[in-house]
Amino acid sequence: MTRYGFVIDLKRCYGCYTCQVACKAENCTPQGVDWAKCVPAEVGSFPTALRQMLPLVCMQCAEPACMDVCPTGATTQDENGIVQVDKNLCMGCKYCIMACPYGARQVVDDWTTYFPDAEGPLDPYESWAKKEWETRRTGYGIATKCDFCMHRVKVGKQPACVEACPAKARYFGDLDDPESEISILIRRERGFQLNPEFGTDPSCYYLPPR
Amino acid sequence: MRMKAQSKWSWEVAAYLFLAGLGGGAYVAGVTGDFLGAGWEVPSKVGVFLGFPSVFIGCMFLIADLGSPKNFWRAAMRPGTSWIARGTIIITIFMILDAIHIGFWVWPFPGVLANVDGARHFLGILGIIFAFATMIYTGILLGAARPIAFWSTAMLPLLFLVSALSTGVMAVVLVSSILGAAHEGPIAGLTRLDVMLIILEIFVVGFYLQATHRVPESRASALLVMTGAVAPMFWLGFAFLGLLLPLVLELIGAFALTGAGAGIAAVIAAISGIVGGLILRQVVLLGGIQAPLKAGRFEFALP
Repeated sequence: MTRYGFVIDLKRCYGCYTCQVACKAENCTPQGVDWAKCVPAEVGSFPTALRQMLPLVCMQCAEPACMDVCPTGATTQDENGIVQVDKNLCMGCKYCIMACPYGARQVVDDWTTYFPDAEGPLDPYESWAKKEWETRRTGYGIATKCDFCMHRVKVGKQPACVEACPAKARYFGDLDDPESEISILIRRERGFQLNPEFGTDPSCYYLPPR
Repeated sequence: MRMKAQSKWSWEVAAYLFLAGLGGGAYVAGVTGDFLGAGWEVPSKVGVFLGFPSVFIGCMFLIADLGSPKNFWRAAMRPGTSWIARGTIIITIFMILDAIHIGFWVWPFPGVLANVDGARHFLGILGIIFAFATMIYTGILLGAARPIAFWSTAMLPLLFLVSALSTGVMAVVLVSSILGAAHEGPIAGLTRLDVMLIILEIFVVGFYLQATHRVPESRASALLVMTGAVAPMFWLGFAFLGLLLPLVLELIGAFALTGAGAGIAAVIAAISGIVGGLILRQVVLLGGIQAPLKAGRFEFALP
């Protein structure tokens, strides 16, 4: 069995948001949808203040809260542990958005231009992106989420955010293989899951911040 | 760290939670009146008649809020794990039972159940079970969202239940009065029952807010509701319109006024209390804040 997972090294992340932009470029997500995102936090006060970034993706939980609450059966988990939404079955009740502790799910009404004050139709590049968005598993009014770039993984590539990360803070691999890079990292560098109290057993691990 | 409240569930969901509760409460009041027998003909029929349409209109609000309404019929596909699916089944059964109750007792088959008290009362008991389930479910629905500690508490179903019973009773008083029922006997009795429900609701909302002390996100929710952006809605809309004003008017109606004066006081109290019940649902929705994510000493608020 394969259980795809992420390791994100918080020591290495310096918060450049490349993952967020790479995800947008790869998946053509509209405004308001960030499948990969970075969230900042601060602790302490001057002169001992610290700032840390937390990159987030869908955790592809082994016990997904979003799948439990989904009333329609649109949310499923495939044999690789990836949580998928069937756009034809989702009714857009947004219950999964409320149930996900990691803010992984988003819903959007339309694909609108990124350019401020732009009028008229989308430019050719945006039109292309809009069409891409509509023809994939995604759409409007329904729940959308990161799927670890399965369309890339299937052809032997890394997820877009992993490939793009200039700090090399992101690792992708198989959690079920004890000899995979991410399994070794989790063992050696005390990898942990975010907020395990929600009982979702996320497949995304973090290496501790400094 | 500033934590942001959820914005994805808006007033349509509040209207649904409110109307489902009101319908269930009115039905319970109606069937209880039916058990009490002579003199309760008007309020009991009003209560039973209010149940189905209120819940049905509430469901329309929920469907309007869906991102992909064409799939609404799939809402009950996963009752094994999803509370929306379970609730859809509960509410559907309630609406069917109430529709039978209305149809065979009042319209369009008058007399079929009117002369068979046993069968009607049995149907009423069955209906009451699902009416209570409907009222309680509206709280459990929010409670199943575990990252939002303000919702994920056992007090919320109780708060919604008491508010649903209270608004249901007030709806019966209001509609009965509009239909010309005098403020005496059953109507005055229901108004006094509502005094007790409002006093109970004051205690329950107090416990509900007290129970938020445990984790930072629900403390933030309580602060947002009581002192933050939602505070005017909470204090003016819910505490004043929903609790204080109806309580005072109903007490004045019970002790200081008689006849038409008491009737007018009860009607104003009912309108105010019903509006307050709707605002309560909206306050709870607007107060929903997700748990921060923790890594080492850092706590990250979700955007």
